[in-house]
Amino acid sequence: MTVTAGPRPGTAAPESGRPRGPRRLSVPATAGHYLIWAVTLVVVVGPVVPIALASLWSAPLYRSGGHLTLGNFRDLLTDPAWWAAVGNSAAFAALTTVSSVLFGVGAAVLLTRTDVPFRRLFAGLLILPIMLPGLVLIVGWMAMWAPSGYVSSWLEVNTVLWFPVDLYTLPGMALVATTVAAPTVFLFCRTTVLAIDPALEDAARSAGAGPLRALVSVTVPLLRPAVLTSALLVFAISFEVLGLPLILGFSNNITFVSTYLYDNWINAAPPNQGLVSAGAVFLLVCVSGLLVLRNRLVGDASRYTTVTGKAAATRVVGLGPVRWALAAVLATALGVLVVVPLAGVVMSAFTSILTPYVTPWSVLTTANFQAIADHPIWSESIVNSLLIAGVGGLLTTAAIAVVSVVAHRSAFRFRGSLQQAVVWPRMMPGLVTGMAFFWSFAILDPSGAVRGSLWGIGLAFAVRSLALGYGVFYPALAAIGEDLVRAARTSGATWWQAAMSVVLRLSAPAMAACFVLLFVSMLNDADPAVFLVTDRTPVMGLTMLQLAATSTGGAVAAFGVIQMVITLAVLGAGRIFLGVRAHA
Amino acid sequence: MPDLTLTKVAKSFGANVVLHDLDLHVRDGELFTLLGPSGCGKSTTLWSIAGLHSPDSGTITFGDRTVFDGGRIDVAPERRNCGVVFQSYAVWPHLSVHDNVAYPLKLRKERRPARAARVREVLELVELDHLEGRYPHELSGGQQQRVALARALAHPPDLLLLDEPFSNLDAKLRERAREWLRALQQRIGVTTVFVTHDQDEALSMSDRIMVMDQGRVRQVGTPEEIYQEPADVFVADFVGTVNVLAGRAAPGADGTARVWLDGLGRPLIVPAGAGLDGDVRLTVRPERIVVHPPGGAPADTAGAVNTVTVKVRSRAFLGDHYRYVTDLGERELVVRTLTPVDHGSELIVELPPDAIRVFGPARPDMAPPDPT
Repeated sequence: MTVTAGPRPGTAAPESGRPRGPRRLSVPATAGHYLIWAVTLVVVVGPVVPIALASLWSAPLYRSGGHLTLGNFRDLLTDPAWWAAVGNSAAFAALTTVSSVLFGVGAAVLLTRTDVPFRRLFAGLLILPIMLPGLVLIVGWMAMWAPSGYVSSWLEVNTVLWFPVDLYTLPGMALVATTVAAPTVFLFCRTTVLAIDPALEDAARSAGAGPLRALVSVTVPLLRPAVLTSALLVFAISFEVLGLPLILGFSNNITFVSTYLYDNWINAAPPNQGLVSAGAVFLLVCVSGLLVLRNRLVGDASRYTTVTGKAAATRVVGLGPVRWALAAVLATALGVLVVVPLAGVVMSAFTSILTPYVTPWSVLTTANFQAIADHPIWSESIVNSLLIAGVGGLLTTAAIAVVSVVAHRSAFRFRGSLQQAVVWPRMMPGLVTGMAFFWSFAILDPSGAVRGSLWGIGLAFAVRSLALGYGVFYPALAAIGEDLVRAARTSGATWWQAAMSVVLRLSAPAMAACFVLLFVSMLNDADPAVFLVTDRTPVMGLTMLQLAATSTGGAVAAFGVIQMVITLAVLGAGRIFLGVRAHA
Repeated sequence: MPDLTLTKVAKSFGANVVLHDLDLHVRDGELFTLLGPSGCGKSTTLWSIAGLHSPDSGTITFGDRTVFDGGRIDVAPERRNCGVVFQSYAVWPHLSVHDNVAYPLKLRKERRPARAARVREVLELVELDHLEGRYPHELSGGQQQRVALARALAHPPDLLLLDEPFSNLDAKLRERAREWLRALQQRIGVTTVFVTHDQDEALSMSDRIMVMDQGRVRQVGTPEEIYQEPADVFVADFVGTVNVLAGRAAPGADGTARVWLDGLGRPLIVPAGAGLDGDVRLTVRPERIVVHPPGGAPADTAGAVNTVTVKVRSRAFLGDHYRYVTDLGERELVVRTLTPVDHGSELIVELPPDAIRVFGPARPDMAPPDPT
């Protein structure tokens, strides 16, 4: 025996029968699983309880007295304005979802798997809008594409072209929302497309399919979980959106569910709390139905496991001359949807007035930025938002990663409920999330220590962002072959060690993408802060919303430019982080 | 190295029983193969040994260490100290060759110098020491497979478990890998359980083979025993090529029996135990059939028993031999020989009694596997 597989020098003789397994402190994986499960449920589901209570109680919860009642629901369901709002929101969300999925999936396939020219540039432009708060884009759209906007007026005066959509209608609002929502679908699908084994397509090729046919008949169906998850998210985001109808819906008096709740809470005197809570409960019921539907449709996730233990590289499908036509279409679409509105933001930020009748160069100014620097609450809101986005984003990413691994890669008994728990907060309107935390803090933390700190707002923002991060993280997780984990277990790793050294390590790129998205989302989030903000804890998103509702776009645009700079810096760092990622 | 014992191991997935009270014993240092068609339960058995699946009942012991005992003991996979090579290799793409192999040693808190030495030693063993710094995507399939093997041997394991490790390799490479792995296993003497559906692999590598079908053991034995003395028609048919002929038997003289086949005038003489009577099935390997070329001297067949004339229906040239499908009465008889014969011509073949195995009539659960 020249080379031994037997005992090495210094190890005990094996005849004793003692297992030579790894030595370590052994904590049962199940205990950790239960702990994570309990914490997740308390933080994610717990805050909903006060809303349900408030919807069934005749008086506000912080006041004594009151009794059980169904009156709030009766008032809500018999209010024609509520049903009009539901109809508007549903139509708007459906329009936005359909157009975003078409655009997002098409772009994901075209820009990752075909030889369309300028792929990197297009992909960069496409995801630019999600870096910015929706408000800023709205400001940009209004400045450029509104009937009296800079570019639409210019087109009508100088060319035979005109902008065919009125921004102040439902389709107009859906078009603006698509600019923000399509990149979400795109990001989800791209992660999955990159993870698909090229051999699957090669198999279709060998069965007689052309390259394009193989792409469409193999890769696109494999995107189903990513498309469904992202479509659901887009629908939910569109259903709850507050800023867009508040600003664009005002002139034609188009009410959404969010503005209905907002008006009945903020503008009604006294606030119509029971009614708003009943509206929130109604939404939750609808959303649970949507979730059940999603699970039915996605089916068995392992059907979509596409990466096995074998390493392989992505390949590109040649489209021939058609690629130039596609590039032209993409360039026009991205130009209208992204470049022009963003240019509008920058131009608004650096000018005192923006109209086709005055040369922008003659009205250049930095006064908008000076105003932000000089205003203590405005400048403080930037610092606070950075803190929440940075620290909160990191902690939330870690939480999403650990919860997802338990939910999908363990034998934990309640893993199914964890999967649900992560996704459904996104279905709650941000307003409701804010309200939920407001009441939870009011009940659990009467001293107001948490509510009065950034942790309170940060927690609400984090819970709201869970589904967004999970949507990026999960497809990558599903793409990691189970054998890789089994190999670690049989090598001597506990469940946790295998999760850390294989699953989480291999999903590091997805975690980085998750963090970037969370950072941006938490930096820009506003809605939940409506109820939680104090004079000492202003956050940028809400400050901007309040500003946009009362003034012209100059200062809002300046805020947007600041966010753009911060975000690009974060993305650059992310690129460096991604550059040193796994050699997979 | 410990031996491995499975006692009455059973496993069902819902209503589907994949293991029926399986018993098996693997001797210290032995290369033991689980052979069977897809879905026969061989992988489930292997994963039960590794701890990746929990059986419903039964016991599994490594030497005198019980790693599974009904619901009472179920040692986690990481505590079983097995080395597993997966069909997909499962080489971690984010770790270099060195780090892949070092992983089990790191978990065992091996000090850095000792770890590096051991990694080098195992990589030399699999002839990959020159590729220590490479990443998996820079390796060929065969190299990835050897990384997986090195990783499985690093700790070192009490038991080496191989799940169809060659199925992703091409034929030439597979043949070389077989010989190489067999030599390596004998050199280090690690007790090994090997899962395959490839009979050539099983025959050429194993000390002993267990043939499985539908969660049951059909036969355990050395490769020679399995091939030459199959326990039933399923084993005979699954391992190697065999002609199965149904007929009716009646007792003959001198410990023989006579078997009538449909469409054949004379009965075949077969060796028989006591009281062979009624419906039987005969098996005979194509290479054991003696071919007498047409027009050969009658003296050649003089004294031979069981000579019959068959008509060649199709022929295939396979390089080192010819394979003929012939008509024997109303049956098909596959013959293997070096003699070239034209399509459609007649052959005189001899089925030596000692080449014929006799089995009872077909029972539904003994049906040979679907040829697809």
